[in-house]
Amino acid sequence: MRKLILIVLMIVFTSVAHAEERLNVVTTLPWIGSLAKELGKDRVSVTTLVKPSQDPHMLEAKPSMILAARKADIIMYNGLDLEIGYLPLIFESSKNPSVMPGRPGNFDCSRFVRVIEKPATVDRSMGDVHPLGNPHYHFSPENVLKVAEGMAAALGDLDQANADFYRANFEAFAVKLREKQKQWSSQPLSGKRFIAYHRLFEYLATDFGFRIIGYVESKPGIPPSAAHIERLMEDMKKSRPDGILTTSLYGKKEAESLSTKTGVRVIVLPNDVGAGKGTADWFAFMDATLKSLL
Amino acid sequence: MKIIYFFSIFVFTFFTSAAFAQDPGERLNKLEEIVKKQEKTIEQQQKTVEALKQEMEKQKSGRASLEPGAPSASPQSGGLFGGSSLTNPNISAVLNAFAYSSNLTNEELEQRGIPGFTTRGIERQRGFNLDAAELFIFAPVDPFFNFYTTIPVTEDGAELEEAYIVTTALPAGFQIKGGKFKGGFSRLNAQHPHAWDFTDIALPYRAFLGGEGLGGEKGIQLTYLPALPVYTLLGAEVLQGENELLFGPDAGSGPHAFSFFVKSSFDTSDNSTLYFGPSVLFGKTKSAVITSGSDPALGAELQGDSVLYGFEMVWKWKPSSQQGFTLQSEYLYLSQNGDLEDFGAATVNPLVRKQDGFYVQGIYRMNRWRIGGRYDRLAPFSDTFKLAGTEQDLGSAPWRAAGSLEFNPSEFSRIRLQYTHDRTAGDGRENNEVIAQFIFGIGAHAGHPF
Repeated sequence: MRKLILIVLMIVFTSVAHAEERLNVVTTLPWIGSLAKELGKDRVSVTTLVKPSQDPHMLEAKPSMILAARKADIIMYNGLDLEIGYLPLIFESSKNPSVMPGRPGNFDCSRFVRVIEKPATVDRSMGDVHPLGNPHYHFSPENVLKVAEGMAAALGDLDQANADFYRANFEAFAVKLREKQKQWSSQPLSGKRFIAYHRLFEYLATDFGFRIIGYVESKPGIPPSAAHIERLMEDMKKSRPDGILTTSLYGKKEAESLSTKTGVRVIVLPNDVGAGKGTADWFAFMDATLKSLL
Repeated sequence: MKIIYFFSIFVFTFFTSAAFAQDPGERLNKLEEIVKKQEKTIEQQQKTVEALKQEMEKQKSGRASLEPGAPSASPQSGGLFGGSSLTNPNISAVLNAFAYSSNLTNEELEQRGIPGFTTRGIERQRGFNLDAAELFIFAPVDPFFNFYTTIPVTEDGAELEEAYIVTTALPAGFQIKGGKFKGGFSRLNAQHPHAWDFTDIALPYRAFLGGEGLGGEKGIQLTYLPALPVYTLLGAEVLQGENELLFGPDAGSGPHAFSFFVKSSFDTSDNSTLYFGPSVLFGKTKSAVITSGSDPALGAELQGDSVLYGFEMVWKWKPSSQQGFTLQSEYLYLSQNGDLEDFGAATVNPLVRKQDGFYVQGIYRMNRWRIGGRYDRLAPFSDTFKLAGTEQDLGSAPWRAAGSLEFNPSEFSRIRLQYTHDRTAGDGRENNEVIAQFIFGIGAHAGHPF
């Protein structure tokens, strides 16, 4: 028994002593990780839980995620209930009080976002509607800028010795974003009309002035029925949209079959940072997204 | 706003009617004055409305007083379970119903125990069955505790299966769970029936713990997750020990069941994870549902000590959101010593049991479809059942094989068809079951653990 207690105590002490000097940042989505790296540079070590090849709606709380949360100084997440299926479980199972909701180590990016498409009434007969509004705001430069500002402040709060460093990195990020924004806005997207598979691109449409006039999914998260596709094809013949938007994550096959039937081209956009070539960070991801739309 | 408007009209009419009493010139002057006053009021009100509108717009966009270094955040944060659960906790209900058919009659099913393991039969009726409508309520209590309850409502009434708190503020990887909860021993115990991959629990569980596993037990659990390179969860429990088959409420005067468990896991690739660990559950036993003795009408009761060892192993592979495969297996080993009082023969004899069992199952998912198979077997390595020093003949080792096909229209609904070939009875009679199961969930439901 005494031996067992000794072993347990040793594990406790080693785990306490293990605490690194760099701030341990855990993020759910790749784009949040990219932002954290941009702002924290070498003063933070970033672990991203969701891979760009994974659908962030449909994940399980893997023990490796819980372990990462256990060691985290701060967890940054998309919010708006996107990660509702696994993140609450990760928080609780992490047994790490500093990342629990309400603590400085719990960073909900959506708190800084101007949310669109918040439904007035919602029930599940409408499909997998996000009751707090559209959560896919990482396509929106305006909103990402706000998130980055909040993130720099949150990092500074936790690591006050480096607060100025994070703030300076944010300023540099903001300057770069403003420059890029000029370049992105100069693209002739205004007035274009697209069909989309899932409600992923609404922020992009709002920020860059194009319209999404129909969806391949009959209801969010529910695969299209034959009747719905039939109707959509009729509409598309009349409206002649500029493309069918989808990602490589899901809906690509459905979009392609719709394309062969209607002659409207498929545009595969990256769903997140790291999905596909040339999307190594958030700026590259946005570059690739806007380039594909042309 | 409207009220003010009507009020001004009312005042206006009042003054005009009063003004009619004077001469026309004066009246006109007064009227003009009044109209001007009214105009001013309306203008001011308009201004207030504009200001309010702007204020609302600002709040909406979260742009109020955006200063460097102080980014504005919307006042409502996500909360642990999303949304707001201040005034209302998260509530969900899960309906679990099924249609059952078998070559055996209802009476034969009820009496179909597993010789040497349990006298409890299959509590299912041919035709339509309602397992339960389970009610789940949970919310944070305060910054220190989360609170969970599970209330399955059956046709016999409501039952408090679980009601417990979990700490969220203990430091250094420690956590305490207390109240009535499903314990951490092995894997299927902690899962709610609607989360099972088959309509019924695996055979070793039914044989050693009963048809619902260990079930909700009153007690306290301490878990510790050290910050190691590999996920390793250590846990210990003190339980009241009310499980009818393994312990029994009268087996001890206080808490008389205890458990220790280790759960370990690592990712075998980007898309796959291995999860495994040993556990042990032990305590005092006073059970009348193990064996029927010489006269089934009177029965027999065992009083003694039990140790149940378990080992669980799960491997999940999920190459994309469209498909996945889960391989799962558990092994249980029981060591039990005690005195068996045979009420029919009016004798008390020492009983020694060393029995084991395992199951292995695989589930493959493709989009909204899942197909699965399971094989369970008792006494694969050890089948000691010694009464008064004499080994008892229990017939051939019980086994079962099941196949299932599921369609999940959405995350919240499941339609399952299962076929089971059951060879668990000592008399060698088969039970061939076909089950169509329906599981539907509404409301805010907590995510299921890995």
